[in-house]
Amino acid sequence: MSGTAVGPGTVSALQAALAAEHAAVYGYGVAGAYLDGPAETTATAYWNAHQVARDTLEAMLRQAGAQPVAAAPAYELPHKVDGPVSAVRLAVLLENRVTAAYLGVVAVSDPAVRQFGARAMAAAAGRAASWRGRTVAFPGFPPSAFGS
Amino acid sequence: MADRTRRGVLAAAASLPLLAVSGCKGVGALAPPPRPGPDVAVLRAAIAAEEAMIARYGTAITRFPGLAKTLTGLRAEHRLHLAELRTRLVIPPGSPYRSGFASPAPRLAGAPGAATAALPAGQAAALDFLQTAEDGAAAALLRGLTAVPPSLAQLLASVAASESTHVAVLRSAAG
Repeated sequence: MSGTAVGPGTVSALQAALAAEHAAVYGYGVAGAYLDGPAETTATAYWNAHQVARDTLEAMLRQAGAQPVAAAPAYELPHKVDGPVSAVRLAVLLENRVTAAYLGVVAVSDPAVRQFGARAMAAAAGRAASWRGRTVAFPGFPPSAFGS
Repeated sequence: MADRTRRGVLAAAASLPLLAVSGCKGVGALAPPPRPGPDVAVLRAAIAAEEAMIARYGTAITRFPGLAKTLTGLRAEHRLHLAELRTRLVIPPGSPYRSGFASPAPRLAGAPGAATAALPAGQAAALDFLQTAEDGAAAALLRGLTAVPPSLAQLLASVAASESTHVAVLRSAAG
């Protein structure tokens, strides 16, 4: 990103992605507590990846002259997490939401930001697939979007 | 009365284009439609890449029945990609560039072409080949999405993300 002439649409999309990353960092903190062994190792690696992504987005926003959105003190979980199965379900949901947020970044006009968003989508889709145990045809879109 | 007046206005408005055209030489005298934009070339290349991937998976499924379940699932996703990409390509009837659509599709830089559709003989080599093809196709889509409108860019990014997840599946199948 050039740091100049960044439109409000780009800033808004990056803020949405940052908000999703904040939620993912929080959510992995919860999910990781219920995982052990290789799953815990994976959760830790993905938690770290989301922290890096968060920091990257914050830097991009500051470079664009915007104040990055802050993380909430706590997030309402979409469902009760009380064991490995629900922890993995939460991880899938977090990654799906992050993927969808980066889909918004792909729609901006800045080519470099678009590609950044697309790469971030691929990373999140890969993490979601690893938790889910299967791939999907259109990561980032709702399952009903294309009848898939 | 008010309604009749409104209808009259609408009828008059509707007749204006006809009157304007009747004074001209007809639609044949209009300038030809603009040439397809760069997004059309990207879309055609993406469609061709999906067709090639589906063909490769078809060959692999026949040749390696033990991998059929895994590969059939991945091929099904490519078929969904292809179907959606095709809906985005609208060829105007009578377009002077229609023949251009029928010509071999351009390749996205780095995307594996149809000429490389033949799979290596061994299972391990074929899985490796498919990984490389998926990786190349995803990378080509990422490069292409800067030249297209936002909604198509989102579709290409999603397809690229899906194909990048295929690489991990193939790697796992290869052991």
